[in-house]
Formats: sequence, C-alpha cells, structure tokens
Amino acid sequence: MEPSLFSKPRDLFVDVVNPKDYVQIDSVSHIYQSLKNSVQKPLKMILLYGRPGTGKSMLLHKLHHDLSKHQKVYMIDIPIIDEDDFLRVLAQKTYSYASREPLSLTKFLELSAAVNFPIIPIVLLDEAQLYSSALMEKIRLISDARALKFVITLHKTDNEEIIAKEHFQTRIWESIELHNASYEELKIYIQKKLLKANCFDVANMINDNNIKLINKLTRGNYRDANKLMFALFTLYTWYEEHNPHKIKYNALSKKYIEMAAIHTGLIRA
Amino acid sequence: MLDITNLERRWFKYKLKRIFPYGLLVTLILVLGLSIPLIFSKGSPAPIDSLPKNSIKTAISTPVETTNEESSMILQPSMQFIQSMGAVPETDTTVPDTTLLGSSKNSVTSNTVKLPPVEASSSQSQNVKVPIAPTIKAPLPLVKGKLTSIKRDDVAFDIHEIEDRFKNNSNPNLGLYIAHYHYDHGNYAEAYNYALKTNAINSSMDDSWLIFAKSLVKLGKEDQAKKTLQLYISNSNSQNAKNYLETLTKETSK
Ligand SMILES: Nc1ncnc2c1ncn2[C@@H]1O[C@H](COP(=O)(O)OP(=O)(O)OP(=O)(O)O)[C@@H](O)[C@H]1O
Ligand SMILES: [Mg+2]
Repeated sequence: MEPSLFSKPRDLFVDVVNPKDYVQIDSVSHIYQSLKNSVQKPLKMILLYGRPGTGKSMLLHKLHHDLSKHQKVYMIDIPIIDEDDFLRVLAQKTYSYASREPLSLTKFLELSAAVNFPIIPIVLLDEAQLYSSALMEKIRLISDARALKFVITLHKTDNEEIIAKEHFQTRIWESIELHNASYEELKIYIQKKLLKANCFDVANMINDNNIKLINKLTRGNYRDANKLMFALFTLYTWYEEHNPHKIKYNALSKKYIEMAAIHTGLIRA
Repeated sequence: MLDITNLERRWFKYKLKRIFPYGLLVTLILVLGLSIPLIFSKGSPAPIDSLPKNSIKTAISTPVETTNEESSMILQPSMQFIQSMGAVPETDTTVPDTTLLGSSKNSVTSNTVKLPPVEASSSQSQNVKVPIAPTIKAPLPLVKGKLTSIKRDDVAFDIHEIEDRFKNNSNPNLGLYIAHYHYDHGNYAEAYNYALKTNAINSSMDDSWLIFAKSLVKLGKEDQAKKTLQLYISNSNSQNAKNYLETLTKETSK
C-alpha cells in the first residue's frame, strides 16, 4: 500500500515526552534560559509549575538532556513516594551507594560530604505534587546542606495557584511558571513540528482559521493540541484510504477538526 | 480505530444543536416581527425592542459558560500536595489563603457577566475549606533527628485523581506509579491492569514488567508470570527481570 500523506504527521503528534522532539517556542526558550541560569545558583530550589499539559515534563527532560553533557544530572520521573526508598535510590544514583537497608538523612548527608563533587549534582523530580510534605522537607534539607540541587515540577489547579505562589515565594524557591500556548505559539508549535519532519504539504494546508479553531478548542494546551492533531490526521488517513475525493488539500477541514475534537472529548457531543 | 460513521453522526448532531438556539432566535424574532403590526395596531408601542435583546444575551451566554465549567473540571487534582506544603513549619498559609482566594474570585466574577456564579463560588470555597482542616489536626512533626520514623500517612491523596490523569495523559510513569500503589495496597488485580496498560504504552520499563509479573504471582498465576518474564527477558535482556525469574523458579521448586 502506498504510504499515506497523513500518517507521518499523525505520528508526530503522539503524546510522548522526548527531548529530541523539543520545539523551540520563544516564551519557552526564555523560560528555559532562566532555568539554566537558576540551576547555577547555589542553594536555590527550582520549582517549575503550571497546569497539566503545559510542557513541564518536556522542559525537565530537555534540561536533563542538555545538562548531562556538562555535569551530573539525575532524573527521577517516576515519583518515589516511600521516604526510605527515596533516599536509598537517590544515594544509589548520585553516589553509587548500593544498599538494601533504608537510609537515614544523616547517613545520606555523611555520604554526600564524603564524595564532594566539584559541581553540585542536580536532581530533577517530575510530578512532585505526589511527594509528601515530610519528604519535601528532607529534600529541602539536602538542598540546604548543598549536597544536591533540586529542580522539581508540580502541576496544579486554578484554585491552588495563589496558595502555591505564596508559599513558594520564600527565599529558597525560585519558581517558574509555564503557561498554555498563545495563538501565535500554537501556530509555531504545529508548524515547526510538521516542518521539522519535512511534512511540507500538510503544513501548507493549515491556515490561520484552522489554527484559530484549534486554539479555541484546546485553549492552547499542548497536550490537548497533540491529541486533537493526532485524531485529525487519523481521520485524514482514513478518508484518504476510503473516500479520497472528500479531501480538500487547500486547507484543513473545519468539519474534520470538529470531528476530531468530538472524538478526543474536547467537544462534548 | 475510529468509527467514522458514528463520528460523522455525532458531528451532525452537534452542528444541529449549535444551530438550534439561533434557529429558535430567528423564529422568535420572526414571530415578534409579525406580531408587531398587530400590537401596534392596538396602540402600545413602547416595550417591544427590549424583549429580543434579552433573549439574544442569554442565548449567547450559555455556551460560553459551559466551556468555563469544563476547564475548571479538568484542573482538579493535587490539593493534597499544596496543603502538605502549607504544613511545613515556617509559614502559616491557611488563613491568608482562604481570604486571597475569596478576593480574587470576587474580582474575577465582578469583571464578567452578572449571571450565574452563586453555585460555582460556593462549591469552590468548600473545596478550599475541607482539605485544610486535616493539616491542622496533624501538624508536621518538626524535622529534627529522627526523620526516618516519619511515615507517609499524610499522603492520603485520592488515587482516583491520579488514575484520571493517567487516563488523560497516558504518561507511563504515572501508570507505573499507580500500579505500584495498588500493589502496595494489595490490589493485585488493579496493579496487574495498570502495569499492563503501562507496558502497552512503554514496553521497556523494567519496573512495570516486574510489577506485572509480581501481580500475576499474587493472583496465583505463577506460570503466566514466568512466561511473561521469559518473554520480556528475551526482548530486553533485563538483569532485574532475570533475578526475579530466578527467585521465582527457586521458590516454586521448593
Ligand atoms: N516545547 C515543546 N516542544 C515539543 N513538544 C512539547 C513542548 N511542550 C510540550 N510539548 C508536548 O506537549 C505534551 C504535554 O507536555 P508535558 O507532558 O511536558 O506536560 P506537563 O506539563 O508535564 O503535564 P502534566 O502536568 O500532566 O505532567 C507532550 O506530549 C510534549 O511532547
Ligand atoms: Mg508531566
């Protein structure tokens, strides 16, 4: 069977986090730069927060990918919420200290004092809302002792935004917020993704009204945009195979976008 | 796969529904327009033009409202974390938080249309008040010396929230996390399910395969567990999986 024009674009929008697929968007690059700068400051803990699907994990993985060329960085993307386990795994990752026993904080700090890296290693914690306050306090103490530096991501709701900001504005935290994409950013995101993969024909089909509709439906949320585009190109591949005369190649069809939105639940119908 | 015919039908219905209020509006205006001469002929001209304007407003404001509700529905979880952060000694966030929230909500609603927010804001303030109470009951044990004894009983978060998030974002890490959670809580069937889903999303996570196999063992299906492990080992050459398979075979041969 002839490869479909739309199957490649479809696969571009699978919702996975891979730093290789990172798309440079101005505001995000800006954030990324300040993130990289903050990482060099001693004692600060860095909090990356924002609503679900705003690209926190993506940014964290990108940071991991880039920093690991120059210094020790460790990613914990599966939250380890058992406190004893957490220190044990951390010691194993950072100091190659293998132990089956639970590790106390004192012991952990002793270990780190004995190692003494030239640059403080960085630990990246994704999904930090799952950690308990007691564990967060330990993490803070480790950071205070300059044993490790932490960058954490946290997703949260509208209501909590204010509370969190208040709390994290204490001196130890440097907090950075990620937002949904604006219309322009969403346009850049979609276009760049397609162009990077040489899907020029499809990229040319997308006009400003298409983007407006997509932006309206997804409210600029990257994850929702991915889901919508994936469903949309799945639809197109189907029509291409079964009903090719229905496809118009001069623009994306509003109807198909809406159908995709219904399928992904962005429109309730 | 997509069920295109069904989708097309739903789309058609959706379009009809969207057109319906406007259709109604148009007929309303038509009816009114037709009745104007009648009323006029009986001699009371004033109140007519105020009527249709109102109906226009309500017709337009309803769809907007529902989308707002949706967005706040999606963004629910993780109160637990903030709340627990609030319990960290140095700040007493509880009181100012509620006032902050209240005031900001007010400013938002006063900017927008006068209509509905009574229900919404009351449910939100409940949201805020209810979860804060437990932190007062169980303040964080002060962090000195015997840290290791602190257990994570304050992580009474709702696993269903996380499950919902997983459903939404198919993040294999969350899936694995949930599988772990259920396994730790003795819900082996659930653990099995989530590990299975996680494996389907990312088939190269050792942990997920291990939980999967361990759950099978707990469910009394050791043979299947071994088969799965062997299969996984042949694909991944995972040392962890090998170790576990080894202990499994030892245990069963005893
Ligand atoms: N700059 C970017 N370049 C390419 N893809 C991106 C970018 N930002 C976000 N995405 C994509 O958007 C999707 C959602 O991003 P991500 O998973 O990082 O969100 P998140 O903020 O971590 O969400 P959650 O709070 O649910 O964990 C991912 O599939 C990711 O690939
Ligand atoms: Mg994430």
